[in-house]
Amino acid sequence: MALLKVENIAKTFGGVCAVNGFSMEIDRGEVVGIIGPNGAGKTTIFNLISKVYKTDCGKLWLDGTDISAYSQEQAARSGIGRTFQNIRLFTGLSVLDNVKVSCDYKPRYTLLEAILSLPRTIKGKKKTECEAVECLKAVGLERFADERPGNLPYGMQRRLEIARALALKPKVLMLDEPAAGLNPEECVELVSFLKEVIKRFDLALIIIEHRMDVVMNLCDRIYVQDFGKNIGVGTPLEIQNNPKVLAAYLGEGDD
Amino acid sequence: MNDYVASLIQTTCITMIGVISIFPLTGMTGLFSFGQAAYMAVGAYVSGIAAVKFGLPFWLCLVLGVCVSGVMAVIIGLPTLKLRKDYFALMSLCLGEAVTAVLNKFGAITGGAAGLSNIPKRATMLMIVLSTIAVIAMVGLFKSSRFGRMSLAIKTDELAAKSFGINVFAHKMKVYIFTSMIAGFAGVLYAFYLTYLDPNLFGWTRSSEWVIFLFFGGVNSLTGSVISTIFLTTLPEVLRFASSARIVMYTVMILLVINFMPSGLLGEKEFSIPKIIKFFKNHFHKKSRIGGEG
Repeated sequence: MALLKVENIAKTFGGVCAVNGFSMEIDRGEVVGIIGPNGAGKTTIFNLISKVYKTDCGKLWLDGTDISAYSQEQAARSGIGRTFQNIRLFTGLSVLDNVKVSCDYKPRYTLLEAILSLPRTIKGKKKTECEAVECLKAVGLERFADERPGNLPYGMQRRLEIARALALKPKVLMLDEPAAGLNPEECVELVSFLKEVIKRFDLALIIIEHRMDVVMNLCDRIYVQDFGKNIGVGTPLEIQNNPKVLAAYLGEGDD
Repeated sequence: MNDYVASLIQTTCITMIGVISIFPLTGMTGLFSFGQAAYMAVGAYVSGIAAVKFGLPFWLCLVLGVCVSGVMAVIIGLPTLKLRKDYFALMSLCLGEAVTAVLNKFGAITGGAAGLSNIPKRATMLMIVLSTIAVIAMVGLFKSSRFGRMSLAIKTDELAAKSFGINVFAHKMKVYIFTSMIAGFAGVLYAFYLTYLDPNLFGWTRSSEWVIFLFFGGVNSLTGSVISTIFLTTLPEVLRFASSARIVMYTVMILLVINFMPSGLLGEKEFSIPKIIKFFKNHFHKKSRIGGEG
């Protein structure tokens, strides 16, 4: 069975059908891209998989367990890490602390142990520090550990979001438009960086992206969405030659 | 040391424990509590009644007072901490009023508006000062632990916090119980220091005073809370010569700070020895470098 299996999930908001029966499978080491015009329901799919929204119907399987009824924090704990389309870093915390937050749900020490600073607390703090620094190093931000995230340039804030998601030790990493606002050279850099991340952390990657150069170079499989419906699945080459996709998406855009 | 100064120090310390009791809740988790003095009242009255009516020893009264405050936080927190932040703030205001009303109505047990007197004086100067230091240390450790980080994460972005595995409700509950027990502890000390209790001591003026002190010092600074409490409780005493004008001066002072320094006196800065050493090192480094170039 695949690492993550999405079976016919759907979501309506009032009368609008944001996602209408989306199915997907992904394995460790694979990269899947979700593309489609604005309002196609791509981010809603992410929100359904990470349980921000409850699914109207359909099932989700992660590593053989049914996670359909999980809450948002349970989904995160079971191994679904994500970033957000509009960056949502914790502005009140330092760069390093932002990453540490991902380790904080683990009960390494209790509140009572924390306020009395018992041995388990000191050990737990060290462990969290190690893990967080490692993730920061993986994205090359260890120099800015004490900086506030708001002071970092945009591209680095995106990387910090990835580091924060990596600290969760996810099985599936979902990135929502990681290349938004990057210039062409930075995009090339991002592709090689993400390839390295997949190898190093042994995870499955799902990305939503509008930049075709990134999607085509990175993804093993692409799902094309339009008005909540899936209109095509295939390798980058197949998608580029799919007449339905060209008509609905690539053919219409001016860029 | 004369009696006046001694009493000033002791009341300042007890107020400080109160202000620090809302620091993790309001300052760090972003949950406004305008009724935290209710927990102080619970701690004070439970321990006071246990001592006066049942003649229990001081340490047992202390444990009782703190624990009952914690239990009440569980009862109040379970239904209300799932609410949005603004509704929680409203609820906390009501809680404060409700507790004083209950204390006034049940005169048979609490002494009602006439007050509860004859509590033995057990809280000594040393005890109060040492407990204040202990509470500051505990809350400081709370801030630097994973719990402090989770609080700040929840304050900035609850949805993002959930996406990183934090159980927001459970965390808010823990913080609420923790802070309520500290407020209860302040109440116990207050009861055994004052030897007399009256429901009006714990009205919303006290709760809002704590919030003002917290914001004056800096929302996210424990050091700020300590400094602002010392400053704002001694200021009216220093201004005593100005008689009624002192209230105006005091208010203007607070308004100026809140207006021109919206994040408070210290903002997010904390007193820490390693930081000070680092600051001086960098300072000297720069100086020597400039000297070398010249």
